[in-house]
Amino acid sequence: MIKFDSVTYVYPTGARALSDVSVEVGKGELVALMGENGAGKTTFIKHLNGLLKPTSGRVYVDGKDTRTLSVAQLSRIVGVVFQNAEDMFFLPTVEEEVAFSLRNLGFSEDVVQKRIDWALKFMELEVYKKRSPFLLSGGEKKRLALAIILAWNPQVIAMDEPTVGQDSMQKEKLKEMIKQLSLQGRTVIISTHDVEFVAELRPRVILMSRGKIVADGDADTILTDGELLRSCSILMPQVAATMSRLTDLGFNAKVISVEEAVRSIVKRLMEIEHTRRA
Amino acid sequence: MSILEGLKFYAGDTAIHKLDPRVKFLVSMLMLLMVVMYTEAWILVTLMVVQAAMAYAAKVVRRWLKTIKGSIPLAVLVFGLNAIFFITTGTHATLQEVLYHSATLAYRLVLFLSSFSIFFLTTTPEEIGLTLTSWRIPYPYTFAFISAIRFTPIIAQELRDIMDAQRSRGIELDKGGPLQRAKKLVPILVPLLANALRRAYELAEAMEVKCFGATKNRTSLRELKMRSRDYAALLVSLTLFSLAMYSRLFLL
Amino acid sequence: MEIVRVEGLTFTYSGSEVPAVKDINLTMKEGEFVLLLGPSGCGKSTLCRCLNGLIPHFYAGKMDGKVVVAGMDVTKTPTYVLSQHVGMVFQIPENQLFSLTVENDVAFALENLGIPRDEIKRRVDFALRAVGIEELRGRSPFELSGGQQQKVAIASILALMPKLMLFDEPTSSLDPVSAKSVVDIISSIRKEFGTSIIVAEHRVELLADKVDRVIVMQEGSIIKDGKPKEVFVSEEFTPYGVPVPKVVSMAKGVNRHLRVFNDMPLSPEEFEQGIRGFLYDKVR
Ligand SMILES: Nc1ncnc2c1ncn2[C@@H]1O[C@H](COP(=O)(O)OP(=O)(O)OP(=O)(O)O)[C@@H](O)[C@H]1O
Ligand SMILES: Nc1ncnc2c1ncn2[C@@H]1O[C@H](COP(=O)(O)OP(=O)(O)OP(=O)(O)O)[C@@H](O)[C@H]1O
Ligand SMILES: [Mg+2]
Ligand SMILES: [Mg+2]
Repeated sequence: MIKFDSVTYVYPTGARALSDVSVEVGKGELVALMGENGAGKTTFIKHLNGLLKPTSGRVYVDGKDTRTLSVAQLSRIVGVVFQNAEDMFFLPTVEEEVAFSLRNLGFSEDVVQKRIDWALKFMELEVYKKRSPFLLSGGEKKRLALAIILAWNPQVIAMDEPTVGQDSMQKEKLKEMIKQLSLQGRTVIISTHDVEFVAELRPRVILMSRGKIVADGDADTILTDGELLRSCSILMPQVAATMSRLTDLGFNAKVISVEEAVRSIVKRLMEIEHTRRA
Repeated sequence: MSILEGLKFYAGDTAIHKLDPRVKFLVSMLMLLMVVMYTEAWILVTLMVVQAAMAYAAKVVRRWLKTIKGSIPLAVLVFGLNAIFFITTGTHATLQEVLYHSATLAYRLVLFLSSFSIFFLTTTPEEIGLTLTSWRIPYPYTFAFISAIRFTPIIAQELRDIMDAQRSRGIELDKGGPLQRAKKLVPILVPLLANALRRAYELAEAMEVKCFGATKNRTSLRELKMRSRDYAALLVSLTLFSLAMYSRLFLL
Repeated sequence: MEIVRVEGLTFTYSGSEVPAVKDINLTMKEGEFVLLLGPSGCGKSTLCRCLNGLIPHFYAGKMDGKVVVAGMDVTKTPTYVLSQHVGMVFQIPENQLFSLTVENDVAFALENLGIPRDEIKRRVDFALRAVGIEELRGRSPFELSGGQQQKVAIASILALMPKLMLFDEPTSSLDPVSAKSVVDIISSIRKEFGTSIIVAEHRVELLADKVDRVIVMQEGSIIKDGKPKEVFVSEEFTPYGVPVPKVVSMAKGVNRHLRVFNDMPLSPEEFEQGIRGFLYDKVR
């Protein structure tokens, strides 16, 4: 679905934000892009819909070179939600915000109405249809930004730092929605340094540092590698940090979910007790 | 935008950087006066050479050249306007004269900009702030000046972010006629304004917390002090200027 | 000694109908370290503003009740006086830095107060050292990373040497390592200078084992207030309620099968001790 072929990107200021990045993301994959502040996550995401074109190398979206398509054309395939939802809002109501993008992308009026209803319902925002986007809470604004993008049903959805400043309830909602989108077969890419969120979502993790991809694998493997994470200014999720302190007792250190950790701890404790008795 | 590039400070450690900003400002002003006083080509060329030497001493030649390059469109405009003005009013007899006078005017503009560019390239905005304070400009104005410099890059980034967010919704900013394009500014300007308001509120809150305006007798961590090298530089440039004045008035 | 006393505080922003905080009663001892939790919009920022005088001096609205901080009645004391006793650090680092060098930013509040230059120099040195950013002093704040900027913001408040420091979501835009170093600085300030501290934060894992007290708000009211262990233990891990650190959920899960933890762990270290202690007891 997405293919980066030795992509290097240098900002006009000379900052080398991506250097020789090669990676492929398949259809329907759920990917978390992680890395320290300034690692190049946002720059990566801006390449997905052609806002930035590689300085050297190629980016392919659905087999097409991004240099040959406009941002509007690419956006129909890849919907990007940026960190600051407020950067989008300029219309008096939530409903009009969603309609605006649909019309931009050339949908017919009857489809527009259907899509608005569907997207707002999915994001649990129907009640706010007539409200001003500026009066929504932080979490609702974030969901509206996502609804605006979802409305035209892009095959790929990319979100930059979706959990920043969100409370636990909103994060939970966001997590459920991301899971659902992924189940529906969409490709979802999120950039984040929220390890606890990623530990709950358990996606494929692409770890970046200083413009390079330093690791790529499933969340259970990467989020339990303390040293690797630390080199990207990331800390292990608390479950993994806890388990890694108990490896000498034969506890499984490669766990990131609470339930699994509990199961494995109880099992191991029982075993220890058993051997002692015997 | 490359003109602005020439007004941005880059940290440096040369003798020119270390000069008292007030002295540097005065030198720029004297240059300006010379540019106004003289129209003779050879003097103007000499001034440019002096500036080039200063830029070289301050190790900012490349950025200084950028300013000059950036000021060319403006110079061309001045040249064009003057030529038209001279021709329509018939101020000068021959075409040659018209061209010569228009060119010197345009050149003087370049000289003027490049002289101030050296000042800005080698003076920290903080020093400019201190200069203003030392001239008893009320602090709020100095603060406004520093804030403008401090926040310009941030707002520029914000503008880029907003444009990116809107383009990701299918707005094609560079398509359509002038009217359509003007309409497409709304989705950019509204969020920009809303963000600016929010930021202004947050800044005001932070200023309040940091006791802004608590007393009229504000103190300052740093203070400008004239050292011997500053006096020396001042003396040299004033002497040179007086000589130039003298020759203008009595010799030429 | 008491640093904060709030009695029957209710505040409604002008233009709004519902109060943002309702009937808050709260006292805080000097040197206490408090974690303020609660969903978005529950009134955490509003409460902080009431403690440093931004409410009612900066934000208009209707205020009832009494707020006394460091012995001063907040409504009767101008903010610049209060600010010397109650410092506040905000969420977005770049919006609380004003100068073009780090050291000027740290000096900013002191300059505003007209403090003599020698004293400013001393305090700037002190604050930069306390936060561990002496090497940044000549740099420009807008070329620093978010984490470094936030440290500058903390130093600039610390230079005022306040008795109480309020932090409103100080780490939310930072990567985990920067977030942790900011939190470490906050707890070292508490340890070294005995400063009373309130931190509003969503990520409980960062602070659960460091604070003395957790206050949970909901819809403008305080619904829970106690030692972290008490608050988190009584809380089931439900995503729609108060966030609970993962170690607490783990310990509770384990306890459901085997009674391992008598004392609730708040950090991986404490969890480890619990497990090892359990095995050791068994051997005896
Ligand atoms: N518009 C820009 N102009 C110049 N340099 C930039 C620009 N945007 C980003 N950079 C630089 O490119 C690098 C990568 O930045 P990017 O924003 O992609 O990082 P990030 O991983 O998204 O970081 P964060 O976690 O802070 O959001 C950084 O060094 C940054 O300073
Ligand atoms: N300046 C303001 N004017 C009017 N209403 C406000 C203002 N600031 C906050 N409110 C309202 O007061 C209530 C409490 O907001 P507050 O910002 O204190 O919550 P919070 O707990 O800090 O939330 P968050 O976690 O999102 O920062 C909210 O309903 C909010 O909409
Ligand atoms: Mg980013
Ligand atoms: Mg808040």
